[in-house]
Amino acid sequence: MLTLLAKVLKVLNSQASPWQIGFAIALGLFAGILPFGLLTLIIILVVCLLTINLTTFIVTWGLSSGLMLLFASPLERLTWQYAQNDGLLNFLANTESLQLLHLHHTLTLGAFVLGVVLLLPVAWLGKTLVQQYRSHIMTSVEKWKLTQMLKASKLFALYEKLN
Amino acid sequence: MIRKSGWLVFIVFIAALLALVYVFAGPAIRLGMIYSLEKAVGAEVNIDKVALELAPLAIRINHLQITDAANPSHNSLSFGHAHAALEVWPALLGYYVVNDLSVDGLEYGAERKNFGKVYRIPGEDGEKVDIAKLLQVDLPDANELIARANLQTPAKAEALKQLATAEQQQLKALKDNLPTKEHLAQYQTEIKALTESKISNAADLATKAGQLQQLKDQLKAEQDKLASAKQQLEQSKTALSQAVDELKAASKADYAKVQQLANIKEGGLAGISQILLGDVWGERIAQLESLYLLVKPYIPEQLNLPSGEATEPEPVLPNRILPLPHAPYPDFWIKSAKVNWLIGGGQATIALQDITAQHALINAATKFSLDVKQLPQLAAFKLDGDFAILQKMVTNVNWQLDGLNLQPMHLGKGDNALDLATGLINSSGKLNLTNNQIAQQASVILKAADFSSSGNKYLQQLTGLLNQQQQIPLNIATTGLISQPEISIRSSLDQLLGDALLGEAKQKIAAYQSELQTKLNSQLQTGLAGQQDWAALLTQQDSDLSEVSSRIEEMLSAKLADAKDQVKDRLKDKLMKKSDDN
Repeated sequence: MLTLLAKVLKVLNSQASPWQIGFAIALGLFAGILPFGLLTLIIILVVCLLTINLTTFIVTWGLSSGLMLLFASPLERLTWQYAQNDGLLNFLANTESLQLLHLHHTLTLGAFVLGVVLLLPVAWLGKTLVQQYRSHIMTSVEKWKLTQMLKASKLFALYEKLN
Repeated sequence: MIRKSGWLVFIVFIAALLALVYVFAGPAIRLGMIYSLEKAVGAEVNIDKVALELAPLAIRINHLQITDAANPSHNSLSFGHAHAALEVWPALLGYYVVNDLSVDGLEYGAERKNFGKVYRIPGEDGEKVDIAKLLQVDLPDANELIARANLQTPAKAEALKQLATAEQQQLKALKDNLPTKEHLAQYQTEIKALTESKISNAADLATKAGQLQQLKDQLKAEQDKLASAKQQLEQSKTALSQAVDELKAASKADYAKVQQLANIKEGGLAGISQILLGDVWGERIAQLESLYLLVKPYIPEQLNLPSGEATEPEPVLPNRILPLPHAPYPDFWIKSAKVNWLIGGGQATIALQDITAQHALINAATKFSLDVKQLPQLAAFKLDGDFAILQKMVTNVNWQLDGLNLQPMHLGKGDNALDLATGLINSSGKLNLTNNQIAQQASVILKAADFSSSGNKYLQQLTGLLNQQQQIPLNIATTGLISQPEISIRSSLDQLLGDALLGEAKQKIAAYQSELQTKLNSQLQTGLAGQQDWAALLTQQDSDLSEVSSRIEEMLSAKLADAKDQVKDRLKDKLMKKSDDN
């Protein structure tokens, strides 16, 4: 847990661009809410090929996969309810490549739509939060007594070690 | 923005993933199968190992056991090994199409090493017959039974009473409108006065003729009233007679119903065969429910039920496939399967084709057949049938079984238990399962049976009688819900066994039957109590009306004729006198 926190702090304090971190959060969330399949592999390929922050991606992927244990069932039911549309069903039936991506499965379709909708807003929000952290919080945090104490702790040693 | 080592990272990731899948897919599938099967059958499911083979894509399952929820020391079903070869392309699309499935060592009802856990108790059987109660002849009180039977006789008797009252009132009102004897005498006096009076001239004749016509019109109106009253009387007679017939029919039907409720129609108690084998058959039939629960999510009616009508919680699938208008494959489809079944002390092979839950997509029903001969414990067994889920789940099974050596078995419970040490079974029958409704007919012949019992004197007497029989024929019929089947097991020996066993009890039943008949007869007599009075009243009314009617007819015809004659005579006399004068 401490290692994980140290890694996150390291990323936030690194020179990585806020957009790289923002997209890592958005794509990690996307991969996490999808049931594992070809779509997940495509997202991983995109993450590998582009200079998206891998640490942030993996952490967000893990966290959102955990959250899906709670939200998968309502999302599945919601998709089943709203996907009973003749046009959509015909489109999915006629397009084998979409079936290859398992978009005719309720949870995959629901998660894909949710992921696409959230991708850009979450990336922008992530970027903004990183920028806000770096400009307003990072320097103040350094001056806190708590930070000073932490610097003397095992966490700081780990942080230094990772640097 | 492009990571130079991106492809390398991705390839390493995929390789690691494949390695993980190869190592962990088997355990993951095993856990998934256990979870799904336990949810469906409500009892512990054990699987020793599940292995995934990548080339060709196949899955192997070792030693699966499904605990019998009703008898946790035994499995409802188990097998040694199963191997399924999957088609790759449909699997990539998310459909499970299995070309060949083989199952070895399938066993039904095998004993478990340890007791299995039960998560859902199977449904309570319908109205099971309790042998102890029957042998004690614990019959319900006649009044209680009549009160419980929702009889028609009291209602019909009440209806008859109300009808009679209404008809009586109507007839009374009609009678009030009819001419009284005094009225008729008045008419008669007036007519007599007119007809016997002297007619002085033509004007007098015209006046009296007019007065006579007036009286005639009044009498005709009275006559019409009489006709209407007669018609009403006829209707009343018909309605009352119909009500009396209905009351008698209701009383007869009620007696039959009460006899059925008291289970005394055939002169004995419930069939002995029902008492002995009803529970055993009921438990077997209830196991079919697991099949229904498995396929329930695929039955279209279940998917389209309005939320208010669903009485049971709908099973939720983790990731359903949307109902595409023309899906390329069913969600799962086993094209061909061979099952090696351990039966009758040997092995038999069941052949199955097109196992799926979406038969409309492949335009074929699942078919299965089994034909075995000369096994150590079984002379011959032939079974075939089909299974399809279209608008409803429909299963048809036919079987013919010859010479099955029975394993020792225990029938009944506690003091009322019987042991069957040996026996030979022949059976033929058919079964239809439509959704969760079962209809089954079977004929079973038990030969060379060796029963024993350490129970009470009745049971010992029963075992003696059963052991004397060359063969025990049984007709088994099952209808109703699978979870609560109504099972009827009857044998031509029931009457014989019942008579022998229940000699003393039969006298009690005869007395009870007579008491029931008396009670119902009394209800019928109460209902018919006023019938004689009403009939007498109606007859009296009828006779009165006829008398009045004939008096009016007499007055109208005879008196008018006299008046005319008198006028004619007078005119004639006048003319004669005039001619004499001339």
